[in-house]
Amino acid sequence: MKLKFKIILGILSLVLLAQLIRPEELSSVKTQPVKGLAGVPEEVAKVLETSCFDCHSSQTSWRWFDRLTPANFLVASHIRDGRKALDFSQWDSLASPQRNAMLYFALNGMLSKEMPLSSYTALHPAAKLDQKDIDLIRNYLLNNAVSKPASIESNSMGAEKPSIMEVKKTPNGIAYLPNYRNWKAISTTERFDNGTIRIIFGNPIAVEAIHEGKTNPFPDGTIFAKTAWKQQQGKDGSVYAGQFVQVEFMIKDVKRYAGTKGWGWARWKGENLLPYGKTVKFDSECISCHRPERDNDYVFTRPLDIRDLNKK
Amino acid sequence: MRLTFTAGAFPLIILLMTGCKPNATDRINNAASITSISRLPENPLEMTPMAVSLQPKAKTMSTLYGNSIAAKRLRDGAYYAAGSVLYLVTWKGKADPDWFGAHIPDRVTAIERISFDQNGQKSYTFFKGPGWDPALDLKKNERLIIILSIPIAKSP
Repeated sequence: MKLKFKIILGILSLVLLAQLIRPEELSSVKTQPVKGLAGVPEEVAKVLETSCFDCHSSQTSWRWFDRLTPANFLVASHIRDGRKALDFSQWDSLASPQRNAMLYFALNGMLSKEMPLSSYTALHPAAKLDQKDIDLIRNYLLNNAVSKPASIESNSMGAEKPSIMEVKKTPNGIAYLPNYRNWKAISTTERFDNGTIRIIFGNPIAVEAIHEGKTNPFPDGTIFAKTAWKQQQGKDGSVYAGQFVQVEFMIKDVKRYAGTKGWGWARWKGENLLPYGKTVKFDSECISCHRPERDNDYVFTRPLDIRDLNKK
Repeated sequence: MRLTFTAGAFPLIILLMTGCKPNATDRINNAASITSISRLPENPLEMTPMAVSLQPKAKTMSTLYGNSIAAKRLRDGAYYAAGSVLYLVTWKGKADPDWFGAHIPDRVTAIERISFDQNGQKSYTFFKGPGWDPALDLKKNERLIIILSIPIAKSP
């Protein structure tokens, strides 16, 4: 009897002692309230604040049970990851296309039922989203944040490109692949969220893998190149590919890119093909955006099957 | 007893394993892929993509493809030389199920082919796709001009 009591007392004191060890996020409790989301109607901002801000801004309201060790470490790691992927605290420093991209990213997280995390809403039921909340954000974006094609007049296609250009490697060490325009198109997309039009090219290994149905996972050597152009209004009412925006690559090599889900991620922007990313780890941004497709080898594109019609 | 249990458990395990695996073929956009269209001499999807366009009113999207002679235009910007073959494939657009904010190709509405013979004479052929909409009235002469003036999607 006495022994049992001692054990219980021992455990209790350990739990109490553990409370002295806390994650950094909690000891610097100064949470900075975000000053609303400028330009966004109050009811839309309210939904985002209630359901997203705890992990996706510097405005975290810790409940008592969030503060307990060891739960607080789990919560703190969620917040760290959350802010890395999407941080509403940066709202004021962003231009309006980036703000819209942020809102579309948030909405797609909600639509795929990825967000808010179910482990989070289980303990924070107020953060749960219903269809009405989601429709509110969707309608706001459809009515206010749809990119229109550039008008015919603003066409500045006349500038000739320099003939020989040295393209720098990306910070994660990937060299530019200039021959992708000879590859086949595995799909095209219209992006009304950011006013671009895209061709997704696949190298021969990619095209073969798609035809054979070996897409999950894609074999080593698969490469995708996704090009984006600004939408350009034509005289006939059609919309065409205008100014070149960027080209992005996904290069499959399970061993070489073991640390980044088996893919090498790269992006070059603008006519000068400037490599995107400030640090070696910039690709964590690519992965967090492609995360909803983790069961599909991180590939968003639903590819066309390209077959030889004369081969029976 | 034990044997029957083991024998019974095996199919169950296999069923569970195969049942839980995401179905890869579901990811292929079969509706938009060109499988068989009568009289179509070759698959345009095998050619080099050169340009893309959207027709907001008809809610369709098109890609212009070229054979190797036509694709030279991508590099030198020169007009289509004799021997060029062009295809304009047009799809009905649909909402991207994976990204709110995008449209992707659905069924093919039409395939149009323009070829330049050795004297540079143009000929135009039209192929009806499975998603053809009779409301789209494509007039041959207009189509030739429209297709040949589609601006190439230029990249550095």
